[in-house]
Amino acid sequence: MTTVAGAGPRETGTGRQPATGTIPHERPVPGQPDMWIFVLFEAFVFTSYFTVYVIRRTQNADLFLQSQGQLDLRVGIFNTLVLLVSSWCIARCVQAARDGEFAAALNNIYLTMLFGLVFLVSKVLEWTAKIEHGFSFTSDEFFSFYYFLTAIHFLHLLIGFVFLGVAVHQIRTPARRSQELIETCATYWHTIDFLWVLIFALLYVMR
Amino acid sequence: MNRRFENRLTIVWLALSAITLGQLALGERAPLTPNAIVTASAVIIALVKVRVIVREFMEVRHAPALLGRATDLWLVATGVSLLGSYFVGRLAWG
Repeated sequence: MTTVAGAGPRETGTGRQPATGTIPHERPVPGQPDMWIFVLFEAFVFTSYFTVYVIRRTQNADLFLQSQGQLDLRVGIFNTLVLLVSSWCIARCVQAARDGEFAAALNNIYLTMLFGLVFLVSKVLEWTAKIEHGFSFTSDEFFSFYYFLTAIHFLHLLIGFVFLGVAVHQIRTPARRSQELIETCATYWHTIDFLWVLIFALLYVMR
Repeated sequence: MNRRFENRLTIVWLALSAITLGQLALGERAPLTPNAIVTASAVIIALVKVRVIVREFMEVRHAPALLGRATDLWLVATGVSLLGSYFVGRLAWG
Protein backbone atom coordinates (compact mmCIF):
# COMPACT_ATOMS: atom_id res chain seq x y z
CA MET A 1 0.00 0.00 0.00
CA THR A 2 1.22 3.51 -0.76
CA THR A 3 2.29 5.37 2.35
CA VAL A 4 3.10 8.92 3.22
CA ALA A 5 5.20 10.16 6.06
CA GLY A 6 3.34 11.33 9.09
CA ALA A 7 2.16 8.71 11.52
CA GLY A 8 2.20 5.07 12.39
CA PRO A 9 -0.54 2.57 11.78
CA ARG A 10 -3.20 2.36 14.41
CA GLU A 11 -3.77 -0.43 16.84
CA THR A 12 -7.04 -2.25 16.82
CA GLY A 13 -8.57 -4.31 19.54
CA THR A 14 -6.04 -5.31 22.13
CA GLY A 15 -3.37 -6.10 19.59
CA ARG A 16 -0.65 -3.54 19.07
CA GLN A 17 1.12 -2.94 15.80
CA PRO A 18 4.63 -1.54 15.71
CA ALA A 19 5.04 2.14 14.98
CA THR A 20 6.68 2.71 11.62
CA GLY A 21 6.44 6.48 11.34
CA THR A 22 4.20 6.22 8.30
CA ILE A 23 0.48 6.38 7.71
CA PRO A 24 -1.24 4.50 4.91
CA HIS A 25 -2.17 6.95 2.16
CA GLU A 26 -5.78 5.81 2.42
CA ARG A 27 -6.71 3.85 5.51
CA PRO A 28 -9.98 3.01 7.21
CA VAL A 29 -12.15 5.68 8.72
CA PRO A 30 -10.41 7.31 11.73
CA GLY A 31 -12.05 5.78 14.80
CA GLN A 32 -15.28 3.83 14.67
CA PRO A 33 -17.55 4.39 11.63
CA ASP A 34 -20.56 4.64 13.97
CA MET A 35 -19.08 7.79 15.50
CA TRP A 36 -18.81 9.37 12.05
CA ILE A 37 -22.47 8.64 11.37
CA PHE A 38 -23.28 10.35 14.66
CA VAL A 39 -20.99 13.29 13.85
CA LEU A 40 -22.60 13.85 10.45
CA PHE A 41 -26.06 13.56 11.99
CA GLU A 42 -25.17 16.10 14.68
CA ALA A 43 -23.60 18.39 12.10
CA PHE A 44 -26.79 18.47 10.02
CA VAL A 45 -28.92 19.01 13.15
CA PHE A 46 -26.77 22.01 14.11
CA THR A 47 -26.98 23.31 10.53
CA SER A 48 -30.76 23.34 10.91
CA TYR A 49 -30.46 25.30 14.18
CA PHE A 50 -28.10 27.77 12.53
CA THR A 51 -30.40 28.22 9.53
CA VAL A 52 -33.41 28.99 11.73
CA TYR A 53 -31.24 31.49 13.63
CA VAL A 54 -30.17 33.25 10.41
CA ILE A 55 -33.73 33.37 9.08
CA ARG A 56 -35.05 34.86 12.32
CA ARG A 57 -32.13 37.25 12.38
CA THR A 58 -32.89 38.65 8.93
CA GLN A 59 -36.51 39.17 10.04
CA ASN A 60 -35.44 41.14 13.13
CA ALA A 61 -32.10 42.58 12.07
CA ASP A 62 -32.13 45.66 14.32
CA LEU A 63 -33.05 43.73 17.47
CA PHE A 64 -30.43 41.02 16.83
CA LEU A 65 -27.70 43.59 16.13
CA GLN A 66 -28.56 45.61 19.22
CA SER A 67 -28.45 42.54 21.45
CA GLN A 68 -25.32 41.20 19.73
CA GLY A 69 -23.65 44.41 20.85
CA GLN A 70 -23.97 43.19 24.44
CA LEU A 71 -21.61 40.27 23.73
CA ASP A 72 -17.86 40.70 24.15
CA LEU A 73 -16.15 39.62 20.94
CA ARG A 74 -12.87 39.13 22.81
CA VAL A 75 -14.48 36.52 25.06
CA GLY A 76 -15.69 34.66 21.97
CA ILE A 77 -12.18 34.84 20.47
CA PHE A 78 -10.67 33.56 23.73
CA ASN A 79 -13.10 30.64 23.86
CA THR A 80 -12.37 29.75 20.23
CA LEU A 81 -8.60 29.81 20.82
CA VAL A 82 -8.99 27.65 23.94
CA LEU A 83 -10.96 24.99 22.05
CA LEU A 84 -8.47 25.08 19.17
CA VAL A 85 -5.65 24.38 21.62
CA SER A 86 -7.65 21.50 23.10
CA SER A 87 -8.21 20.07 19.60
CA TRP A 88 -4.50 20.34 18.84
CA CYS A 89 -3.71 18.50 22.09
CA ILE A 90 -6.14 15.63 21.40
CA ALA A 91 -4.76 15.32 17.85
CA ARG A 92 -1.25 15.04 19.37
CA CYS A 93 -2.60 12.46 21.83
CA VAL A 94 -3.87 10.29 18.97
CA GLN A 95 -0.55 10.54 17.20
CA ALA A 96 1.46 9.78 20.36
CA ALA A 97 -0.70 6.73 21.14
CA ARG A 98 -0.28 5.55 17.56
CA ASP A 99 3.48 5.76 17.99
CA GLY A 100 3.32 3.84 21.28
CA GLU A 101 4.29 6.91 23.32
CA PHE A 102 1.59 6.50 25.93
CA ALA A 103 3.07 8.88 28.52
CA ALA A 104 2.98 11.67 25.94
CA ALA A 105 -0.52 10.63 24.92
CA LEU A 106 -1.70 10.88 28.53
CA ASN A 107 -0.07 14.30 28.99
CA ASN A 108 -1.83 15.57 25.87
CA ILE A 109 -5.20 14.23 26.92
CA TYR A 110 -4.82 15.86 30.34
CA LEU A 111 -4.04 19.14 28.58
CA THR A 112 -7.15 18.63 26.45
CA MET A 113 -9.17 18.25 29.65
CA LEU A 114 -7.57 21.34 31.15
CA PHE A 115 -8.44 23.53 28.16
CA GLY A 116 -11.92 22.02 28.00
CA LEU A 117 -12.36 23.00 31.64
CA VAL A 118 -11.11 26.53 30.91
CA PHE A 119 -13.77 26.81 28.20
CA LEU A 120 -16.49 25.60 30.57
CA VAL A 121 -15.50 28.08 33.29
CA SER A 122 -15.22 30.90 30.77
CA LYS A 123 -18.68 30.12 29.41
CA VAL A 124 -20.24 30.01 32.88
CA LEU A 125 -18.61 33.36 33.74
CA GLU A 126 -19.91 34.85 30.49
CA TRP A 127 -23.45 33.61 31.19
CA THR A 128 -23.27 34.91 34.76
CA ALA A 129 -22.15 38.36 33.60
CA LYS A 130 -24.92 38.53 31.01
CA ILE A 131 -27.60 37.51 33.52
CA GLU A 132 -26.30 40.05 36.05
CA HIS A 133 -26.69 42.72 33.37
CA GLY A 134 -30.29 41.65 32.82
CA PHE A 135 -29.87 39.57 29.65
CA SER A 136 -31.53 36.24 30.29
CA PHE A 137 -33.02 33.51 28.07
CA THR A 138 -36.32 35.41 27.90
CA SER A 139 -34.91 38.92 27.37
CA ASP A 140 -35.31 38.82 23.61
CA GLU A 141 -35.06 36.48 20.65
CA PHE A 142 -31.32 36.98 20.14
CA PHE A 143 -30.57 35.98 23.72
CA SER A 144 -32.92 32.99 23.42
CA PHE A 145 -30.79 31.76 20.52
CA TYR A 146 -27.59 32.72 22.33
CA TYR A 147 -28.43 30.67 25.42
CA PHE A 148 -29.89 27.79 23.42
CA LEU A 149 -26.91 27.40 21.07
CA THR A 150 -24.23 27.91 23.74
CA ALA A 151 -26.03 25.67 26.25
CA ILE A 152 -26.52 22.77 23.83
CA HIS A 153 -22.86 23.12 22.86
CA PHE A 154 -21.95 23.19 26.57
CA LEU A 155 -23.88 19.93 27.04
CA HIS A 156 -21.94 18.34 24.19
CA LEU A 157 -18.71 19.48 25.83
CA LEU A 158 -19.71 17.85 29.12
CA ILE A 159 -20.36 14.60 27.23
CA GLY A 160 -16.93 15.10 25.65
CA PHE A 161 -15.36 14.75 29.08
CA VAL A 162 -16.89 11.27 29.32
CA PHE A 163 -15.17 10.39 26.03
CA LEU A 164 -11.89 11.83 27.30
CA GLY A 165 -12.26 9.71 30.43
CA VAL A 166 -12.73 6.62 28.26
CA ALA A 167 -9.60 7.53 26.30
CA VAL A 168 -7.60 7.99 29.52
CA HIS A 169 -8.79 4.59 30.74
CA GLN A 170 -7.79 3.04 27.42
CA ILE A 171 -4.31 4.53 27.52
CA ARG A 172 -3.68 3.76 31.19
CA THR A 173 -4.74 0.11 30.86
CA PRO A 174 -2.31 -1.74 28.55
CA ALA A 175 -4.60 -4.76 28.25
CA ARG A 176 -7.47 -2.59 26.97
CA ARG A 177 -5.63 -0.22 24.66
CA SER A 178 -7.47 0.32 21.41
CA GLN A 179 -6.21 2.96 19.00
CA GLU A 180 -9.58 2.83 17.26
CA LEU A 181 -11.38 3.80 20.46
CA ILE A 182 -8.90 6.60 21.23
CA GLU A 183 -9.49 7.98 17.71
CA THR A 184 -13.26 7.70 18.24
CA CYS A 185 -13.02 9.81 21.41
CA ALA A 186 -10.85 12.37 19.60
CA THR A 187 -13.33 12.55 16.71
CA TYR A 188 -16.09 13.51 19.14
CA TRP A 189 -13.91 16.18 20.78
CA HIS A 190 -12.99 17.75 17.42
CA THR A 191 -16.70 17.87 16.57
CA ILE A 192 -17.28 20.03 19.64
CA ASP A 193 -14.51 22.30 18.41
CA PHE A 194 -15.77 22.79 14.86
CA LEU A 195 -19.37 23.31 16.01
CA TRP A 196 -18.13 26.12 18.27
CA VAL A 197 -16.25 27.69 15.33
CA LEU A 198 -19.60 28.08 13.55
CA ILE A 199 -21.49 29.21 16.66
CA PHE A 200 -18.84 31.86 17.29
CA ALA A 201 -19.09 33.22 13.73
CA LEU A 202 -22.88 33.42 13.87
CA LEU A 203 -23.32 34.88 17.36
CA TYR A 204 -20.31 37.19 17.62
CA VAL A 205 -19.12 38.19 14.15
CA MET A 206 -21.90 38.19 11.54
CA ARG A 207 -23.85 41.41 10.91
CA MET B 1 6.17 11.28 18.37
CA ASN B 2 6.71 11.49 14.64
CA ARG B 3 8.35 14.89 14.21
CA ARG B 4 7.00 15.61 10.74
CA PHE B 5 3.40 14.87 11.68
CA GLU B 6 3.77 16.80 14.94
CA ASN B 7 5.06 19.84 13.04
CA ARG B 8 2.14 19.64 10.62
CA LEU B 9 -0.36 19.60 13.50
CA THR B 10 1.36 22.61 15.06
CA ILE B 11 1.34 24.57 11.79
CA VAL B 12 -2.37 23.81 11.35
CA TRP B 13 -3.10 24.93 14.91
CA LEU B 14 -1.11 28.16 14.47
CA ALA B 15 -2.87 28.90 11.18
CA LEU B 16 -6.31 28.34 12.73
CA SER B 17 -5.38 30.57 15.67
CA ALA B 18 -4.11 33.31 13.34
CA ILE B 19 -7.33 33.21 11.32
CA THR B 20 -9.30 33.45 14.58
CA LEU B 21 -7.36 36.54 15.60
CA GLY B 22 -8.11 37.92 12.13
CA GLN B 23 -11.79 37.53 12.97
CA LEU B 24 -11.19 39.80 15.96
CA ALA B 25 -10.13 42.56 13.58
CA LEU B 26 -13.09 41.82 11.31
CA GLY B 27 -15.59 41.92 14.18
CA GLU B 28 -14.16 44.95 15.97
CA ARG B 29 -14.00 47.13 12.86
CA ALA B 30 -17.47 46.27 11.60
CA PRO B 31 -20.17 48.56 13.02
CA LEU B 32 -23.36 46.97 14.36
CA THR B 33 -25.31 47.48 11.15
CA PRO B 34 -26.42 44.90 8.59
CA ASN B 35 -23.39 44.12 6.46
CA ALA B 36 -23.45 41.40 3.82
CA ILE B 37 -19.68 41.45 3.27
CA VAL B 38 -18.89 40.95 6.97
CA THR B 39 -21.51 38.21 7.25
CA ALA B 40 -20.36 36.36 4.13
CA SER B 41 -16.73 36.67 5.28
CA ALA B 42 -17.57 35.39 8.76
CA VAL B 43 -19.44 32.36 7.42
CA ILE B 44 -16.88 31.49 4.74
CA ILE B 45 -13.92 31.89 7.13
CA ALA B 46 -15.70 29.67 9.68
CA LEU B 47 -16.38 27.00 7.05
CA VAL B 48 -12.74 27.08 5.91
CA LYS B 49 -11.61 26.64 9.54
CA VAL B 50 -14.04 23.75 10.01
CA ARG B 51 -12.76 22.06 6.86
CA VAL B 52 -9.16 22.39 8.06
CA ILE B 53 -10.12 20.88 11.44
CA VAL B 54 -11.93 18.00 9.72
CA ARG B 55 -9.20 17.30 7.17
CA GLU B 56 -6.17 17.75 9.41
CA PHE B 57 -7.06 17.21 13.08
CA MET B 58 -9.72 14.57 12.35
CA GLU B 59 -7.47 12.98 9.70
CA VAL B 60 -10.14 12.84 7.03
CA ARG B 61 -7.50 13.60 4.39
CA HIS B 62 -6.27 10.02 4.88
CA ALA B 63 -9.73 8.49 5.19
CA PRO B 64 -11.72 6.82 2.42
CA ALA B 65 -12.93 9.29 -0.21
CA LEU B 66 -16.55 8.67 0.76
CA LEU B 67 -15.99 10.25 4.20
CA GLY B 68 -14.24 13.23 2.64
CA ARG B 69 -17.13 13.71 0.22
CA ALA B 70 -19.70 13.37 3.01
CA THR B 71 -18.02 16.01 5.17
CA ASP B 72 -17.59 18.33 2.17
CA LEU B 73 -21.27 17.83 1.30
CA TRP B 74 -22.22 18.94 4.80
CA LEU B 75 -19.93 21.99 4.54
CA VAL B 76 -21.40 23.02 1.19
CA ALA B 77 -24.96 22.42 2.44
CA THR B 78 -24.24 24.52 5.52
CA GLY B 79 -22.72 27.34 3.49
CA VAL B 80 -25.58 27.38 0.98
CA SER B 81 -28.17 27.19 3.75
CA LEU B 82 -26.67 29.97 5.89
CA LEU B 83 -25.74 32.39 3.11
CA GLY B 84 -28.90 31.58 1.13
CA SER B 85 -31.09 32.23 4.17
CA TYR B 86 -29.24 35.46 4.91
CA PHE B 87 -29.42 36.93 1.42
CA VAL B 88 -32.95 35.75 0.65
CA GLY B 89 -34.03 37.00 4.08
CA ARG B 90 -32.51 40.40 3.47
CA LEU B 91 -34.26 40.65 0.12
CA ALA B 92 -37.55 39.62 1.66
CA TRP B 93 -37.44 41.47 4.99
CA GLY B 94 -34.37 43.69 4.86
